[in-house]
Parts: sequence; C-alpha cells; structure tokens
Amino acid sequence: MNVTETISSLPETPETVLKIVGAILVLIIAIAMGKALTIYLQRSLKDKVDKGHLDIILKVGYYGLITLVIVVFILPLTGIESSGLLVTGGVLGIVIGFASQSIVGNLISGFFLIVERPIKIGDQINIANNIGFVEDINIFSTIIRTYDGLYMRIPNQTVFTANITNYVANVTRRFEYVVGIRYSDDAEEAIKIIREIIDNEPFALKNPSPGVFVDTLGDNAVNIIVRIWAPITEWFEMKTRLLWVIKKTLEKNGIEIAFPQRTVWFAGELQTRKVTDTQTELLPEARNMYPLAERTDLTEEIHGLPEMQEGTKEG
Amino acid sequence: MYDKYTPPFTLNFEGHEISVEKDRENLIYRRTCSYETVEKILLNTQGDFLINPIEPVNLPKPITSFLLIDFEHPVVVGPGTKQKIYLTFPVETGIFIIGRNGDHELIDVLTLSNIKYTLYGAPNNGVVCRYWKSKAFTSYPHPDTRYEGDIELDIINDTTYWMEVTKAVFNAYGMKIYYGKEQLSMRAFMRIINRNLAETGFMTYTTTAEFKRSIELYTSRKIILNGNRGIMEHGL
Repeated sequence: MNVTETISSLPETPETVLKIVGAILVLIIAIAMGKALTIYLQRSLKDKVDKGHLDIILKVGYYGLITLVIVVFILPLTGIESSGLLVTGGVLGIVIGFASQSIVGNLISGFFLIVERPIKIGDQINIANNIGFVEDINIFSTIIRTYDGLYMRIPNQTVFTANITNYVANVTRRFEYVVGIRYSDDAEEAIKIIREIIDNEPFALKNPSPGVFVDTLGDNAVNIIVRIWAPITEWFEMKTRLLWVIKKTLEKNGIEIAFPQRTVWFAGELQTRKVTDTQTELLPEARNMYPLAERTDLTEEIHGLPEMQEGTKEG
Repeated sequence: MYDKYTPPFTLNFEGHEISVEKDRENLIYRRTCSYETVEKILLNTQGDFLINPIEPVNLPKPITSFLLIDFEHPVVVGPGTKQKIYLTFPVETGIFIIGRNGDHELIDVLTLSNIKYTLYGAPNNGVVCRYWKSKAFTSYPHPDTRYEGDIELDIINDTTYWMEVTKAVFNAYGMKIYYGKEQLSMRAFMRIINRNLAETGFMTYTTTAEFKRSIELYTSRKIILNGNRGIMEHGL
C-alpha cells in the first residue's frame, strides 16, 4: 500500500470511532435512564406491590429499556443490520449453546422459575436439603440465606430439577404434638384443658378446627394427639411455645406427663430380706464369695453383684 | 371513654389504666392491664391524646386486613330482595397522639374483646381473618360499646334463588367506624352475586357533634391490587 492509498482510507476511521463513541454514550444514557426508571418504580410501587412482583417489574423495566435503546438507536447508529445480527446471533447461539450448555440450561431454568414461580423472594424453602430464605432469583442462579445465616448460591438448573418444598406457599399450616399422660389420669379432663388453652390462643385458628383426641394406648402412657392450624407467619412461634404451656397447665391440674416405667411380676415368691447388719445377716452366696465376712462395708458390694440383685432388692 | 384528652390524665376502665404524665418537655405514656404493661416516652411532645375505636384487625399483631363475622344462625334472603340485619363486631381501641398541625400517630392499641383468628377458604388460596361470632339481629342490638360495636348490614340478593348466608367477610380497607356516647357503629352492605360469591363494602353515616367518625388506619389504596371491597369467593 502506498502513501496515497493510506491517506485516502483515513477519513473512514474517525467516522467509525465517532459511531462507536456515540453508541457507548447512548448506552450509558440508557443505563442511567434505566436506573432512574428503576428508582422511580421502586418508590412509587413499594407500598402497593409485594417484593417478589416488584423485583420482576424492576428487572423487566431496566433490561427492557436498555434492549429497546439498543435496537432502536444503537444498532442503526453503528450501521449494523438487525436481520444480519439475527443470522449471526443464531449461528453464534448454536456455537455458544454447545460450548456452554450448563449456562444456557441455567438461563432457561431461571426463565421458567420466574414464569412458574414455585418460589418467591422471601419464601422459606427446602431445595435438595438446602433450607433457608430465598434472597434473590437471578437469571443463572438462586440465592438462599440459610437459617444459620450462610449465603448459598444454587444454579437455577438444580433448583428447577430438584424437589422444592415451599414452607410458606400456603396461608396456613398445621403442627402436631403427642402428649402422653399417665393411665391413672383422666384423659377427658386433659383434652378439655388442652382445648381451653387452644381456645385462648388467638392465632390457633378457629377454622380449620383444631384436633385433640386420644390416639393410642401406649406402653407407658395414654397418647393424646394435639393438632393445631396456625397462620403461616405464626406457626413456628406457637409450636415452640404452646407445648410447654400445655405441660405446665396439665401438671397444675394434677395430670402428669408419663415417662417409661416397667412393673415386673415374678412367677414365684421372692426371698427378699433387708440387709441391715452386714456382719450378721450376710447371704450364703455372699459369704462364699466374700470370705472377709467381718467387713462392715459389705452391703454396697452385695448390691453390686449381678446375681445377687434380685435377692437383695427391696419390694 | 372515646374522647380527646389533654395531658396529664389518668383513665381507668375494666381493669385497664391509661395514664399520661408530663416530664419537663416530654410525656410518659403508660398502659397497664392484667396481661401487659406498655410504657412509652414521647420526646418533646405537647399534643393532645385521642382515644377512639379503630378497625378490629390489629391485635395481637396485624397479620390480615379481613374480619370474618360468623352468624350464630344462618340468615335466608329471598331472590331479588334487599334485607337489613344487625351484627356485632369486636372493638379495638386506638390511642393517638395529635400533633400541633392536627396530624396524628397511633401509639397503642388495646381491646376488651376476645381475640381469635380463622381461615376463610382453603389453606392454599384462602385468607386469614379476625374471627367474631355474632347473632344476626333484626333490630338495633344495643351492644356494650366497650366490647362490641354494631354493623347495620344491607344484604342485597341479586340472584334468582333463595340464599342462605352464614358469614360475612369485610376488608378493613374502607371500614368506616362511627362513635357516639352510647353507640359504636358501621354501615355495610353485602351484594350476593351467586352461591359462592358476594361483595361487601362500607357506607357512610351522617356525622354530627354527637356522632363522630373514627380515624382510619387502613385507608383505601390508590391502585386496585388490594381494593377496599371484600370479595367473598369461598362461600357465604
């Protein structure tokens, strides 16, 4: 290339630079306008729209405005044909798709998560044994804050394909206690007391009605099932508080919570004697095993012998 | 009881005591009752106090804006007719501080009524409501205004069937409570659209010096994401 040709090609370069600078400026203005639009929408809709919906509206507003500016202003400014871009984009899409399947998978999963909405920002969820609050749903990943305050990023593909348990999707939730009382106590009285406690609890819902009934006659106790429905926002506080209230109130009314105990009946009459004076009342077996009969502290040792336990136990 | 008070003052009723003391430029608000004591220091405050009834959906804490009144006996309404009944509703009392410019702020809520909540509809798509059981009266019931107010309810049956009504669900957004010396009232309507659907709303009374309108906590919203009407879509 000679000097003349080089000079003749020069005027095109500043024009291209100008176009690029112009496009960047327009893009910066679009981003600033998007931010302004986001702030305006946030302020005006904060009290009127719940957080999950508001987040989607803000994202759609922001990215929608930028996309619109790119298509309407930046592409014509830079002289890029949108039809050509579509073809190029299609080819590139295939190439990128093969190269980055997981990213595209996460992107598509994120789209479907936003459309299907099995979880919302602020919900308490369990995704593949990851339990916590949903902090954000992005296009590639979902952010969870676990109950112990950890930040957890889960790829959207995992979220979409895993079993999701949403603990707060419904407006109410039921919790249950098993209250075991002694066989000697009056179960009907216990049920009456528990029902009174539930009636006095504002957030123990009237409908669906609570259930209090004798469920099983267990080995050690008469088991009363207590089922209470509560608003989803209140159930945990109630569950952690009410069982102790039930226990204390039952005890105040003479009804004890039973604990495991076993009564043993022997076929023959037991030869039991109270060992009061170890020097004179030693059992023959103990005398054989313990020739030091003159020891005065033998009582404890006799009780300690496995084969002597039944013989020495008091009724 | 429902009136404007200038500090310092002490008010005793039904085991509750409300007192406001002056402490130099500040005010100390105290409320004691059998189960709870509330004390607040109002810094550099000179305003009066207003005690008046508020929408009964705030205690123990506001979790819903809906009030469900369960009728003790069902009411049957003929096709195409409009009938008037009276119900009672639980009373919650709000204690407001009024600023120099007439602006007001709620500082405490109390009630003598029983507090209970219920679910209207199914657990997946229903709404949690404050629960109240009431007789359906055909004439003004003269309730004790410390515990209960009355709702003058017009039931409009727009269907061609006899309709049995067992409950009414009201939205606190739009509730208009009026109070006088011996009356605490609301005027409401229920328009029955079909067996499972009805619309409820509130109407205004004429206010006088003796019959005032309460300050509304739940004011109507500008956009209809949660309107001021109650829609009963889970049965009557």
